Amino acid sequence: MMDCKKLREILDAYVDRELSADANAQAEVHIAECHACRRTLGRLTRLRGAVRAAVGEPEAPADLLERVQGSLSLRRTRARAIQSIAAALILVSALTLFVPSVRGAAATALDYLALKLDDSRQVVLEGKLLCRDCQLEKEYGYHAMCPVTGHHGSIVTSDGRIWNILEGEKSSELIHNSALLGRKVRVEGRMYRKAGSVAINDYQLL
Amino acid sequence: MPLTWISRSTRFEREALPHLGALYRMARQLVGPEGADDLVQEAYLRAWKYFESFDSATNCRAWLFRILRNSWISRWRKRRLELPLTETESETIEPYYDWEEEVLRDEFSAGMQRALLELPEDYRMALLLADVEEFSYEEIARIMECPIGTVMSRLNRARRMLVKLIQEQREGGTMDKIDPQPERTGRRKS
Repeated sequence: MMDCKKLREILDAYVDRELSADANAQAEVHIAECHACRRTLGRLTRLRGAVRAAVGEPEAPADLLERVQGSLSLRRTRARAIQSIAAALILVSALTLFVPSVRGAAATALDYLALKLDDSRQVVLEGKLLCRDCQLEKEYGYHAMCPVTGHHGSIVTSDGRIWNILEGEKSSELIHNSALLGRKVRVEGRMYRKAGSVAINDYQLL
Repeated sequence: MPLTWISRSTRFEREALPHLGALYRMARQLVGPEGADDLVQEAYLRAWKYFESFDSATNCRAWLFRILRNSWISRWRKRRLELPLTETESETIEPYYDWEEEVLRDEFSAGMQRALLELPEDYRMALLLADVEEFSYEEIARIMECPIGTVMSRLNRARRMLVKLIQEQREGGTMDKIDPQPERTGRRKS
């Protein structure tokens, strides 16, 4: 037999219809018999109703569904574009592999595409080894700290551009050996155009 | 491949999009009307992204609410500092004692809306999921990623706290005068 205390402990579960059939039946027997608990139940039910009423049924803005659909279709279009590119690349690869006449043209196209994509490529570059900071001081009045920090070798090409030499096993001499400054050099490596830098695989003093 | 694609997209439109209204209603309660659109939109983008992992034998509405909650936690909720709930210490359900009949006299009062906003966020969400969205305890536990016992204690405390807050408002005389109609949602003529 369920008493008032027990009923009130399970009252939430009762109004939320979460009780087992057996417990529910017991609760109903008690509620039918107990006026005080009936009143409490009535208040709890009203409280639930009041919460629902306070939240109301706000209508979503008319354009929200369109916006959601729009952003989803954008994703779908993007995904389709990626699928198309992948398909095209597979086709090109297949043609390149199996049709000799296409091979050369495709290789050139892919090479061009690679350059466009990463803006870097293998190069052979000729120029003069000059200290970057001294050169900047000469051309722009930059206050070089070379007497303190040492010179920093870089390659100046005939068009006047200064190419940073990226640190590496092969390039260390070119950067840090001040005795080489002023020498003409031919380097082989990868040029990073946007960064104005060259990674050196090999070099030859001319 | 294209066939799968179409069916995924159609399934999403058929199963997920019809719940937009319910998600919007919850979003308004969580972030207010000004942020609700963005929250719903973000939830749908996430849902689309993970739709492959949705088991269509389960309840799509509950799955979407869970995503809505996760979006809310990751983007919106952290803007507000709130003390963590110490409910792990005790998950007991406290029995209801009678409260004055007066408390709920004005069911459509702005006071109720304000009291809802004053509830700790996890209590408020559990309450809204149960009373407004009518999810089962098990579904709420899955949406809120917590044990069922925690859902029960949150609901119990939320309701008791709600009554207390309304009582305090009334006693403090700060209760707003009653708007005889629930909040207007339609467009006003200018």
